[in-house]
Amino acid sequence: MDLLFSGRSIWTMVHGIVLGGAALMGLAAALFSLRAMRPATDRGVVDESQAQLLAWLMVGVAVMLWLTVIVGTYVTFPPYRATPPEGLTDLSAYPRSLLRANPQTAWLHSVAMETKEHVPWVAAMLATAAAFIGMRYRSRMLGDAMLRRVTATLVAISFALVAAVALLGVFINKVAPLE
Amino acid sequence: MAAIESERTTVVNGAAMAAFLAGGIGALAMGLFVILNEAGLYSAPALYDPAGGVTGRTAFATATWLIAWVVLHNRWKRRQIESGRVWPTTLALIALGILLTFPPVWTLL
Repeated sequence: MDLLFSGRSIWTMVHGIVLGGAALMGLAAALFSLRAMRPATDRGVVDESQAQLLAWLMVGVAVMLWLTVIVGTYVTFPPYRATPPEGLTDLSAYPRSLLRANPQTAWLHSVAMETKEHVPWVAAMLATAAAFIGMRYRSRMLGDAMLRRVTATLVAISFALVAAVALLGVFINKVAPLE
Repeated sequence: MAAIESERTTVVNGAAMAAFLAGGIGALAMGLFVILNEAGLYSAPALYDPAGGVTGRTAFATATWLIAWVVLHNRWKRRQIESGRVWPTTLALIALGILLTFPPVWTLL
């Protein structure tokens, strides 16, 4: 009996949707929370338990991002970049070669995938820094304008980077899926 | 409800600023390892051959980030750091690092 999805395809979904998707949603939630949970005044009240939940959310995001980049680099990237046998005309099992064979899709490797190889690692670093600040300072992170601003900046940049590379991943997978 | 009143007194921000600046250093390290590879000046060795050189570049950049973070954290964790210089420096490092990983920039080499 043929399986509906190959192992390679399942790993691609784990990388892009399960891990990357969860990270993207978590980053959006963290960004919203940083804005919504800030005290209204300098002497406003910050709920310690809510600050703790936000800190754990950011830890979860960082873990998801590290798993995303590790799975992406070490599990899904090798079959993507595999070299096809000499003379093979059907390149559908070799996404990189398939993309490069057509001038109209070559940019999906030379720009999109090359960007995806490195930028998500930076996003993971920044999300980890945000998670660290959240865990170390807890409610003080929300109560102190500078700490909140630093954390929100890290989360916002990480969100923008992950959203951009996720979109590039969708483009690549639409044209040359890893099946 | 376990709640605290946010204090007017300054929170010692050294650990946060160390994490922030280290993030910028990590981003720049990633950009440098990538651009040096594209320029043919230095190629980080592949740690896993099926995935190629990206494994070396990302591992080395991650190691640089962690080392920078540990060093900065140990120096700043009990200090109040003036954010006025760390803030723009970190944003510039992140922007430069991202820019150097952007393939169209490599064509300028």
